[in-house]
Amino acid sequence: MSEYSVVGKSVPRVDALDKVTGAAQYGADVHRPGMLYGKIVRSKHPHAYIRGIDTSEAEKLPGVRAIVTQADVKTGRSVFATDKVLYVGEPIAAVAATDPDIAEEAAELVKIDYEELPVVQDVLEAIKPSTPRLHNDDTKDGPARRVIKARLKKLSDDESQDHSAEIEELTAKFESLEDEVYYNISAETHTEAGDVEKGFAESDIVVEDTYVVPRVHQTYMEPHVSIAEADSSGKVTVWASTQGPFAIRSGVAGTLGIPLTQINVIPTTMGGGFGGRFGVALTHVPAVLLSQKTGRPVRVQMTREEEFVDGRPAPGCVIKLKTGATNDGRILARQALAFWDSGSVSGASIGSTIRVRGVYKIPNLKVDAYGVYTNKSGTTAYRAPGTPQVAYAGESQLDEIARKIGMDGVEFRLKNMREEGDQIPAGAKEPKVGYKETLKAVADAAGWWNREKGPNQGWGVAIGDWTNGCGPGGIYISVHEDGSVRIFHGSIDITGTDTAIAQIVAEVLTVPYEQVTITRGDTDSAPYATGSGGSVVTFTMGNTAKLAAEDTCQRILALAAERLNTSADNLELKDGKVSVLVQDPPRSISLGELAAYSLSTTGGPIVGKGSFARKPSTPALAAQIAKVEVDPETGNVRVLKMVSSQDVGFAINPMAVEGQIEGGTVQGYAWAMMEEMQYDEKGNVNPGFVDYRVPTSADLPTVQSVIVEVPAPNGPFGAKGVGEPPITPTLATMANAVVDAIGVRITELPIKPEKVIDALKQNGK
Amino acid sequence: MRNFEFFEPTTVEEASSLLAQYNGKARLLAGGTDLIIGMKARTEMPEYVISLENIPGLDGITYDEGSGLRVGAMTKMRALETDAIIRDRYTALAEGAAEVGSIQIRHLATLGGNIGHASPAADAAAALLVLDAQVQIGSADGQRTVPIDALFTGPGTTVLEPGEIITAFEFPPRPANSGSQYLKQKIREVMDLAFVGVASAVTLNDGAVENTRIGLAAVAPTPIRATEAEGIINRYHPVTKEILEQAAEAASAQSRPISDLRCSAEYRRQIVGVLTRRTVQTAINRAQS
Ligand SMILES: Cc1cc2nc3c(=O)[nH]c(=O)nc-3n(C[C@H](O)[C@H](O)[C@H](O)COP(=O)(O)OP(=O)(O)OC[C@H]3O[C@@H](n4cnc5c(N)ncnc54)[C@H](O)[C@@H]3O)c2cc1C
Repeated sequence: MSEYSVVGKSVPRVDALDKVTGAAQYGADVHRPGMLYGKIVRSKHPHAYIRGIDTSEAEKLPGVRAIVTQADVKTGRSVFATDKVLYVGEPIAAVAATDPDIAEEAAELVKIDYEELPVVQDVLEAIKPSTPRLHNDDTKDGPARRVIKARLKKLSDDESQDHSAEIEELTAKFESLEDEVYYNISAETHTEAGDVEKGFAESDIVVEDTYVVPRVHQTYMEPHVSIAEADSSGKVTVWASTQGPFAIRSGVAGTLGIPLTQINVIPTTMGGGFGGRFGVALTHVPAVLLSQKTGRPVRVQMTREEEFVDGRPAPGCVIKLKTGATNDGRILARQALAFWDSGSVSGASIGSTIRVRGVYKIPNLKVDAYGVYTNKSGTTAYRAPGTPQVAYAGESQLDEIARKIGMDGVEFRLKNMREEGDQIPAGAKEPKVGYKETLKAVADAAGWWNREKGPNQGWGVAIGDWTNGCGPGGIYISVHEDGSVRIFHGSIDITGTDTAIAQIVAEVLTVPYEQVTITRGDTDSAPYATGSGGSVVTFTMGNTAKLAAEDTCQRILALAAERLNTSADNLELKDGKVSVLVQDPPRSISLGELAAYSLSTTGGPIVGKGSFARKPSTPALAAQIAKVEVDPETGNVRVLKMVSSQDVGFAINPMAVEGQIEGGTVQGYAWAMMEEMQYDEKGNVNPGFVDYRVPTSADLPTVQSVIVEVPAPNGPFGAKGVGEPPITPTLATMANAVVDAIGVRITELPIKPEKVIDALKQNGK
Repeated sequence: MRNFEFFEPTTVEEASSLLAQYNGKARLLAGGTDLIIGMKARTEMPEYVISLENIPGLDGITYDEGSGLRVGAMTKMRALETDAIIRDRYTALAEGAAEVGSIQIRHLATLGGNIGHASPAADAAAALLVLDAQVQIGSADGQRTVPIDALFTGPGTTVLEPGEIITAFEFPPRPANSGSQYLKQKIREVMDLAFVGVASAVTLNDGAVENTRIGLAAVAPTPIRATEAEGIINRYHPVTKEILEQAAEAASAQSRPISDLRCSAEYRRQIVGVLTRRTVQTAINRAQS
């Protein structure tokens, strides 16, 4: 039995009624008087010079009020393409008109004169010398050239001896490694611990493979939308469906040179984000530009097709991975070379390549990662950015090794998992973690230890790790005369975080959950709040809420001491009232009475505040087991069982936590089995839900969630970030289950039926 | 969406006259689940849209032991999949209808629209082929009947003349000792378009399989019959595993699939074989029970 009365309980979400009745106002529900409709003019070519932009025909169309291009961006910051386009869908101009159909027609009337250029979509092609360049950038060295270069530098810096012979030899070798001269590189990261060469040499078994993970879209239900209203004084109001209103405020201000105080961002209810809804470029900046030019409110709303061609999806990745282990199941070395498909701009997730180390004691580790330019839109975060991709490679390869050495997949992982105090490869020492507990919990819940399977059936296990982020936030609390409590803040609720905040405040103030309400302010009226991404909100805003509630408590106790004529340390706040601890006769006063009393005191109303920035987070593990059945004639894979465990530190709202576990698991399943943005030399060829498949509830049985609680020292009530971890293992979970069913590994996702058939054929089955 | 003029005629003749008058610039609107999507995507930009909604008599299912089944063009997929007679005697049609989109879509989508749209992947088309549907076509000039085999001319095109409208589908009676099935290869369990669709129908005569029909969707420019395979099943008695395999191979060989972003032609051909074998077997089993 929990010592708490509100936290740890599955109370209904504060927004449940609004959501189910349709009362919640999303971005697309915002209408302003006299509003115009904006439409972006987009590139029709994946790679081309722009030789001319002619807006004259479009301007003549009745109902068109304004057309903006880069020339309208006074700061010179890049908003629209000017002389070159790098992907289909890249914005070149934007139109505002009196109705959406006119805007759409006008956008088509803007004539762009293109000179087409060769196109590159494949990362392994893009790094080759024969490939078109997207940007005028230098080449970069591959891993072997980097090693030689470092050695050469060392030798030439060492003047104590003559190294000329070795230098000459190494220089020749360096120059001969031509295919390690990489082109179109947007970014690189390199990490090393121990000596992988030595580790592989000592290994009994070394497995090497290339894993390919496709680019996928976050496919939030609500496409990007923004309504901007610039008034004659220059004040700009933006209604935005976003994960981070304060980031939108600073982003719009910076891009367009508007003083921060002249912008108010009003966040609407948000129809999903998953990391993809932070940027200002897609709709906010064009809407503001159009509103400034017309003096009217302007809505810019993307269609689903626009989301696919010009959203910021998760990058695809090609990972060459090598792992060495002993026959008794100790991992000795791992080396990764990853190429991330950044698209047209330097992109997301490359920094996560290091997570290919997993939560294992790998003494020798080397990770080289490159971001690669291709003729696609840029990328951004998607639920645990980068980790599903590398965990797929890492956990698939561990599965291969376990099979080869004849060790149980769960035992093998348990044997290598880190515990408190263990060295994290290329990192610090591990704090108290719940890795083993989480994996054991899923194995027990799934019936792993005595699992059975029929023909063409298989079981797969995999894990993924993630550590929640942290960021600044502030909260105010006000206690009213009826004893109710109101929370004021500015963070965006995606996953049920408002509910968690309300639970925390109710717990600390000992009032019923139903008496706590929340007001979300806009950027003019709310204290700063970090964006809702990186699983930060419950950790950050939960801590903030706790501080604010504790501050409120102080004020309550001081007031009560005054009112009850005793000292504050002789008082206790319990069940919504303050009571005297030791004194006759027993006296108490309710929060409502105190709040009423506060209005006639010199101190004034009961208000508390909390402000928080950061404290170290604790890593969390997600572990999954799937049972599948494959139809060997069609290649279809059906999930028979899916069990997903996660160390959440402390589940402030178990129902909401289960929702996150289920959602993340299903998204991971989708990435493994069906989701894939497909490209050819004409750009994205499946920009819609007909051929970009997201699963429905008919595709999976109920995900069985298993909550593990190893408290985080700095989390509110021990909570860890919950939103991201559950997507991290699933790509590998599914791949490993399919191998167990058909005996063949598919190393290129998604595992579509045709690939299963091809794999079976190649293996003579 | 482009602006358009909207008509709601109350007779087939009136609708037909409008359609003929604005030939090439007008489209019929049934449930709109193909047309409106196309108009939003600007792949369809009609200047005139003629709704069939207010024409009495186009919607409905009637069955008569003597004359068989009549399904009005405006009949919804949801009505087809839930109708007891269709489920029992014209099972492949109920199953084809049930494969269309989601329940919400099937409350809008009509059989006339599915066939009028003439997609090679239309889920009801293979069932109509194997259940010997006769397409009733009306116009201001009168009525004519075209067998379903002769309706489609290519992706999105039919033999309909300017001003012609599908009014109903008629199916011969099916004896109790007949059976049929439609199977669809897809990735997503629901709301997926057919990678391959196969319908089979058989009648048993003294244990011998007769009147075999095999219809294939999404593996040729139009929905087609796998006539070679049908002949193999009809020719041999009993229908053994080997015969089924031969028929499957014949159906594969007769299909003319393309490779596209969904899958390769080779894969489609293989699936034609698998689903032919499975649907013929099920159709026989159903005829026996
Ligand atoms: C989300 C979604 C999922 C879908 N999934 C599937 C699926 O799984 N399988 C599938 O087969 N289809 C699917 N469809 C397509 C569509 O629902 C079906 O083809 C449906 O049967 C079309 O019927 P409708 O009444 O909506 O036709 P409409 O869109 O109204 O019309 C379609 C076409 O047929 C013409 N037409 C309509 N009625 C007649 C008539 N009486 N005579 C002559 N021409 C006529 C129209 O002019 C138009 O060109 C899906 C559509 C959506 C939106």
